[in-house]
Amino acid sequence: MTSDEQNFIEIKGVSKHFGDVVAVDNVDLTIKKGELFSILGASGSGKTTLLRILAGLEIPSQGSILIDGVDMTSVAPYDRPVNIMFQNYALFPHMSVFENIAYGLKKEGLQKESIEEKVQRMLTLVKLEGYENRKPNQLSGGQSQRVALARSLVKEPKVLLLDEPMAALDKKLRQSTQFELMDIHYELGITFVIVTHDQEEAMTLSDRIAIMEQGQFVQIGSPNLIYENPRSKFVADFLGNINLLQAIITEQNDKEIVVDCAALGGELKFDQTEQANTSEMTVALRPEKVMIEKNMPTNDDHSHIKGIVEDFGYFGNLSIYRVKTETGHVIQVSKQNRDRVEQSIKWEDEVYLSWDDESLMLLGE
Amino acid sequence: MSGLLVNTNNSIRENLWRYFIVAIPYIWLLLFFLAPFVIVFKISLADPIIAQPPFTPLLNESADGGFSIYTTFDNFLYLFQDSLYFVTYLNSVKLAFIATFFTLLIGYPIAYGIARSPQPTRNILLLLVVIPFWISFLLRVYSWMGILKTNGLINGFLLWLGVIDQPLELLYTDTAVYIGMVYSYLPYMILPLYANLVKLDVRLLEAASDLGAKKWQGFLDVTLPLSMPGIIAGCLLVFIPAIGEYVIPALLGGADTLMIGRVLFDEFFLNRDWPVASAVAIVLLLLLVLPIVYFQKKQAQETSEATA
Repeated sequence: MTSDEQNFIEIKGVSKHFGDVVAVDNVDLTIKKGELFSILGASGSGKTTLLRILAGLEIPSQGSILIDGVDMTSVAPYDRPVNIMFQNYALFPHMSVFENIAYGLKKEGLQKESIEEKVQRMLTLVKLEGYENRKPNQLSGGQSQRVALARSLVKEPKVLLLDEPMAALDKKLRQSTQFELMDIHYELGITFVIVTHDQEEAMTLSDRIAIMEQGQFVQIGSPNLIYENPRSKFVADFLGNINLLQAIITEQNDKEIVVDCAALGGELKFDQTEQANTSEMTVALRPEKVMIEKNMPTNDDHSHIKGIVEDFGYFGNLSIYRVKTETGHVIQVSKQNRDRVEQSIKWEDEVYLSWDDESLMLLGE
Repeated sequence: MSGLLVNTNNSIRENLWRYFIVAIPYIWLLLFFLAPFVIVFKISLADPIIAQPPFTPLLNESADGGFSIYTTFDNFLYLFQDSLYFVTYLNSVKLAFIATFFTLLIGYPIAYGIARSPQPTRNILLLLVVIPFWISFLLRVYSWMGILKTNGLINGFLLWLGVIDQPLELLYTDTAVYIGMVYSYLPYMILPLYANLVKLDVRLLEAASDLGAKKWQGFLDVTLPLSMPGIIAGCLLVFIPAIGEYVIPALLGGADTLMIGRVLFDEFFLNRDWPVASAVAIVLLLLLVLPIVYFQKKQAQETSEATA
């Protein structure tokens, strides 16, 4: 891969102000060619504004945008090799499905036959053959979404921007659509940038995720990296479920740091990377990394504590327990229901929790 | 048992109530539209006489105590024989059409501008559009006479600038009628257009722009077709009253400005020929109603096709 393909989209020091509000705050980002990249954040985090800047619908207050090596910062949306799929699809209500998809090609001034051919190819791709003459108000939510996708793909953009592509679909449809979207991405090899608030969606779809908070990226990386190695308490909490437990530093030197974590029953050692400047830290532990048993665990590598099941929820494929430890802390545990038996652990049961110390993460603020 | 009784009583009362509500608009139309229409139609079938009222009665009591009905189509035939009426109708349609066109041309950008302005400004601008209604219509037309007359504001200004050295003849021309009509009917064009344009989803324009449309292309491809219902509503609201307009051509138009409203007035009050005047009114009504009914039917058809 050439360096150009590594830096296919370059966002350099981009900020956007709306009056006193800073929507995007001095952001840097590079996206690779053909990557499926997600920007994940809560509403108001500035993710949609950043997407609109990429589409050319907003002009950044500062900074520059390069796509495939060309400065796009002040290029009008209609001159960019970029197309966007809007959250509510923004299909033209007075045009048929065919006319909607053909619109961008007509503006390019293509021949009628070639428009016809390209639109048909797109309809096949999104599995909507035979729907050419329908009007948008005659389509279901899923069909509208496909038309919007086809309309934004038909011009063969270098980059496809998707603003909350699944938000308007129900859960079942969302899952199947996610896989179809990945197939289409694979087939066409176009760079996708997706904006979403749905962490599951971001995790399933993306090669890499950028987590955005208050106009800035708090962490960028593969779903796996961000999930297993969150850089901060915010990221850990934002992505998936996690137990965040208070800990106090008792000792630290160049190599290691020792904290006292009451919830996990005492002192824990971590490799030291940078000197902590507060005495309070957080130990994080994912619920699925904790084992819950009625009998005393025999595995010597694992640490364990005792507790009482305070609450439990059955989700079919897994069960989630809230266990109150002897020190009065509550730890969430999830357990795969691997065997087809009645739930053996119930309310008020005395249980042992055990974990591999490698699963523990030490986080600052 | 008693519960059932109460129930039926209630449902009867509910039904009556429902009929009453539905009946109100029908009663209104019956009393204030159909009844006057029938009376006018009746008069249009009579002969003018010098009497009180000035037309022959529909029912005649004969000497032997029986009744006979007297009707004549002479008045309608007369309208077709005298080319004056045909020319006048045509001229009214032409004047109303041109006035509607210019009202749309001026009203659309204004409505668009208001719909695109931020919320607080929008309300002020809408208020400004409606404010002229607070002054009597007649007064406003009179003030246009003051502006347009030989030694009025416009001529005075142009003379002062030195653009002209002879005052222009503005008042008592067709131009003055157009100015008066466009001015008077502008709010009727702006309000329905505004109501339509303010609903337009800006994201549709962004989508068009994203797909390669320049600003003006987005306007032509998206805004204009989607604002068609507003354009039609506004044009009808202007065209229909404009075609029968009497006051504006009477005050601002010249002697040769032929409009059906003036002919109607003259027949009634100068010639005291009520039957011909009624016939003129009936023909005018048909001339207006038929195209509108046709148009509405076509539109209803289109919408039912779209949702089928």
